[in-house]
Amino acid sequence: MHEFSICRDILAAALEEYRALDPAPKRLKAVRVVAGGMHQIIPEYLATAYGILSRDTPAAGSKLDLVIKPVTGRCRECGWEGEIVPPFFQCAACGALAIDLMQGRELYLDRLEVEDHEHERDQGL
Amino acid sequence: MSTREIRVYKDLMGANEKWAGATRTLLSDQDVVMLNLIGSPGAGKTSLLEAMTPHLSKQARFAVLEGDIETTRDAERLDRLGVPVSQLLSGGACHLEARLVNQALTDFPLRDLDLVFVENVGNMVCPAEFDIGEKAKIAVLSITEGEDKPLKYPLLFREARAVVLTKTDLLPYLEFDLPACRRNIAQIDASLPVFEVSAMTGEGVPAFADWVINTPQTVL
Repeated sequence: MHEFSICRDILAAALEEYRALDPAPKRLKAVRVVAGGMHQIIPEYLATAYGILSRDTPAAGSKLDLVIKPVTGRCRECGWEGEIVPPFFQCAACGALAIDLMQGRELYLDRLEVEDHEHERDQGL
Repeated sequence: MSTREIRVYKDLMGANEKWAGATRTLLSDQDVVMLNLIGSPGAGKTSLLEAMTPHLSKQARFAVLEGDIETTRDAERLDRLGVPVSQLLSGGACHLEARLVNQALTDFPLRDLDLVFVENVGNMVCPAEFDIGEKAKIAVLSITEGEDKPLKYPLLFREARAVVLTKTDLLPYLEFDLPACRRNIAQIDASLPVFEVSAMTGEGVPAFADWVINTPQTVL
């Protein structure tokens, strides 16, 4: 269910950026979001939420690309750094349960892809 | 047709973080500690607050922000005990966000308080995602839910600064594996204190109430 809350924030941020573009594009083609693995986002649910929430907005018909970043951590005991597979926050080298997270909590709007109007000089050629 | 790519790098939690930061400043200016109780529906969050009230009210002045999707039932339960309580209805949302909490805090005379508990909407997923300006998140897990739940909801147990295991009076009647549950919690964060509590018998309640009074403002 948290996909809907997250999607509402994605759309608000994407539309704010889109409306501020100058010159105004013809349409919004795609929105890319980067999310860390800690957020446990289910891509299919997020896509469903995006389809529903984007209706009747300039984002209608655009595509949501979700990039999930793996969770990584550093061991406080031995200094090991590497990928963590939640829920096992354990050092792969020494087995210590002493992992500080390095990556995996991020959630940001990465980029928009827009289609521009044809340039005037291209018309009629 | 020409396509353009626009790099944005905009934090999606930004607006929420701003409100959470404002709340943190407001509370620290008034020396108030706010704790965010998170657990599934029926985990015993309201019962825990009810059971702690006699013990806590001797040592601290506290108020409760009740988050629910619908009804004021939980708020009424605490109001009957004389606890200042304000009800937040999320209107269908599965969690509380920082702005709503910030606005609700204006209902309380913060200068006359030491502690504010926020009872988040019953849910182990979404509330763990959202910073509401609290000093610490507290995970509330009832033993009827099963010892595997910390592994299924790792974000909550990673974000929490303490875990309260509730309904321990039911231990003789269930197949709940308490040592396994503690191992599962340690797997996610070995430094988490775990309190075993029964709101029904009162066992373990004073120990958690003492932690609430002494620990968050100094250690966390």
